Amino acid sequence: MSYNPVTKDIITALKSIVGNEYVNDSVPMRYAYVSKGIMGLESIPAEVIVRPRYVEEVRKILVLANENKIPVTPVAGGLSGGFASPLISPSGILLDLSRMDRIVEVDTDCRYMVVEPGVRSGTVWAYFRKHYPDWAPPVPDGAPPAATVLGDALERGFSMVTGRYGPQADMVLGAEVVVPTGDVLYTGSWALPGAKPFYKWGLGPDIGGLFLGAQGTMGVVTKAAVKIVPHPHFKTVVAYGMDNPYDMQDATLEVSKYEMGIADHCVMVQGGNWPLVMTRWPEDKVPKDYEFYKKLGISEWWMNFEIWAHSQEELDFVCKRIDEIMKSYEARTGHKLPQWKLHPKQIASRLKKPNKIAIPYSLWNAGFLFITWYTPWKDCAEFAEIYNEKMVKYGFPPVMWIASIDHCRQAICMPIVCFDASKPGDVDKVQELNRETTEIFLDKGWVEYRPDPYVHAPMMYSRAKTYHEYLKKIRAIWDPNYIMHPGRLAIP
Amino acid sequence: MERLQKMRKQIYRCIHCGACRFAYSGEPDKEGLGEHGGVLYEGIVTGCPAGNKYKWEGFYNSGKMWMARAVLEGELEPSEEMRDIIFQCSTCGNCAAQCENKIPTVDVIEALRAALVEKGVPLGAKSAALSKNVKEKNNPYNEPHAERTSWLKGEKNLKSKTAYFVGCTASYRIKNVAEATERLFRKIGVPVAVLTDEVCCGSPLFRTGQLSEALRVMNQNLETFKKYETVVFSCAGCYRTFKVDYPKYSGKPLPFKAVHTMEFIADLMKQGKLKIKKEFKKIVTWHDPCHLTRHIADDIEKRRLEESNNWFMDSRAIEKEKEEWYELPRYVLKQIPGVEFREMYRIKENTWCCGAGGGVKTQYPELAMDAVIERIKEAEATGAQAIVTSCPFCFLNLRDGIKATGSKLELYELIELLDSLID
Repeated sequence: MSYNPVTKDIITALKSIVGNEYVNDSVPMRYAYVSKGIMGLESIPAEVIVRPRYVEEVRKILVLANENKIPVTPVAGGLSGGFASPLISPSGILLDLSRMDRIVEVDTDCRYMVVEPGVRSGTVWAYFRKHYPDWAPPVPDGAPPAATVLGDALERGFSMVTGRYGPQADMVLGAEVVVPTGDVLYTGSWALPGAKPFYKWGLGPDIGGLFLGAQGTMGVVTKAAVKIVPHPHFKTVVAYGMDNPYDMQDATLEVSKYEMGIADHCVMVQGGNWPLVMTRWPEDKVPKDYEFYKKLGISEWWMNFEIWAHSQEELDFVCKRIDEIMKSYEARTGHKLPQWKLHPKQIASRLKKPNKIAIPYSLWNAGFLFITWYTPWKDCAEFAEIYNEKMVKYGFPPVMWIASIDHCRQAICMPIVCFDASKPGDVDKVQELNRETTEIFLDKGWVEYRPDPYVHAPMMYSRAKTYHEYLKKIRAIWDPNYIMHPGRLAIP
Repeated sequence: MERLQKMRKQIYRCIHCGACRFAYSGEPDKEGLGEHGGVLYEGIVTGCPAGNKYKWEGFYNSGKMWMARAVLEGELEPSEEMRDIIFQCSTCGNCAAQCENKIPTVDVIEALRAALVEKGVPLGAKSAALSKNVKEKNNPYNEPHAERTSWLKGEKNLKSKTAYFVGCTASYRIKNVAEATERLFRKIGVPVAVLTDEVCCGSPLFRTGQLSEALRVMNQNLETFKKYETVVFSCAGCYRTFKVDYPKYSGKPLPFKAVHTMEFIADLMKQGKLKIKKEFKKIVTWHDPCHLTRHIADDIEKRRLEESNNWFMDSRAIEKEKEEWYELPRYVLKQIPGVEFREMYRIKENTWCCGAGGGVKTQYPELAMDAVIERIKEAEATGAQAIVTSCPFCFLNLRDGIKATGSKLELYELIELLDSLID
């Protein structure tokens, strides 16, 4: 596809849509929006940044861009681990949606909230804490307070209740989407004028899924109805240690199969290995020998179960049953799964949402990347074993974080590649690691969480050619010039 | 550019997580003052004055880190456009306090400013005048050097082991603070020398990247004060500059002990050597000057971490040491009979900057005014009758904010207040 540059006339037109003060083509400002790391290594400056406030403004911008064949990349206003959609070539208009930051509606009967893309986790958490203390917005766990609810949902990410409710995309009941033809589409029951967004599958076949995981390539989501969940106030975290990922995988699966009454209370089930602790500090300022961490009571691998309940009795019951299942696993296999006696401060820290636990991995060196994959839960230990070996091969510490999705139906496997972005050659090494592992993992039938444009997407779609063709055809219906974040997902 | 290059690895740690936009970025459930005037003082709240006003990414710290990275990569040339973004920052250090990757954000922003100056990008007229005035008159206010100690009724260059570094603002603009400080030390039996050779500490120049003149006055002051055992300060900015910048830029530890008056008084109180008997019957809140509290706590952390070989084990002790520093002015206020002390919501390392620092009040007064109005509202939300601080820039900006909002808050400079209560 060929695209046109942003001209002075286009900037004038953009200003007439949103107002002078919300269009910025200053060169340094454009660099301020660049982001390389955490979720992707590619990012270039936009030609212009526009900050619309209303759906109608977004609509006019897309029509203008479509008529003039100018690429548009929406950013939810923040971050779903780094800027959600860093621009790649060709550049064009960066649509910074941070001014669209309204919590439009909360319905505690149908149990959803309608939010705009700029609503940040920290803000919505505070809002619910004050106005709806018995309900919780599904903010991402591990992502910082500046991350947006919609950024996470549209990425099909990971929330604080993922263990119970599934990937964040499953929480989306409906979306309002502006597309380059100038139409405003609604998904789910919302597609019926006047209907509430109470049912995600809507009027016959539903097109909602096309906008989730699309990385801004399908349109601009300007509102979404996202499920809210009960927020009972009896909470704790229990953790178990093990010396290998297979026991972590198998014992956790046993707990998770007790869905009703036990695993349903485990809103977040996540664990990892001891380098997760080590790499939160600078490489030259922390012991690198496991013996140090062992003395502190940190197992080589562990799994946390975050449990929510409506009473102490219910909480105690779930903890007791998890412990019994773990003990029964120990007795049957002869493998040790010691309970990690967490200090109340450690429990409080794990219960904090939103939190900053995923942030400090840049300290190890200078930069890190989550190269996240979905696998069947029963494959997550093998994934960890392969990936850790490859990370060591490329000179990176073997840092692995794994969480359950929907009662361990799936695993979200998050190796953290701690590299040195300031060192020439380190980024290339990361991409070599990425290529090598992607080849292996696609052979295994595992799915990349957020396919990057240069490694994952081309390798993935080369194996799913028909699917890829239909994605392109469908997209062309409402984006005939392919202006939405072109190149990002290789569609095209 | 050399300073920016030295911080290359630290700059590359930024992942755009955005925690630096907030105060209490890791405290979503923090209890607070509730809602006042439409503002919710609970949980995670806004923390960056410039970002809060302009909302573009470049005005937040993370945007500046990525501009710095682009400059280092040779992709972005320093320019006047860039100046108008990076100088609209009070360098308050909230971003550094929130950063889990421990990026020395204030150092980076100052180095970026210095890189612009080095590249010949013209500064704003008022920022540029600071350097010219210091060069010609040894102070940024363009006042005659001979007038610097005119407020002092007693003997100049007194023989003493302790000298008082008065600073330009107390010397020329709020002389009552200079008088109160000198008098207070006399009252507690520590007569201090006020030196006619004192020159600007260089703070406004270090903050605005005008390093050559900053280094000149630094060297002159180090020479002038080296014969003293202790140098006391009433100005938060001067204190920060001596305590943090002088060792950093000279590469040597200070040849004397640098102590802020608040710290000196707190120490006497803790030793039981000073007790205030007069009452100050008011509901009082304290505004943390960034230069006096957050920057010094940040410096404590940096120095301790530099010495540490195991951050994992030593971090908790360092946090405790920082907390002790933050508590000092609160301790002093609580020793005053009659004071009912109430905290604002954003305090200590999460404090909301008044907006005056980093050359902002000089060059971008509307940003400084926006920030201080927010602080005044927050102080009012506590129900306090009086707001106390100990920094001439905070004092002047809070005064302007109170005037602009018509607030009924009474404003006090801590040292002046102590002087009025100690016989």
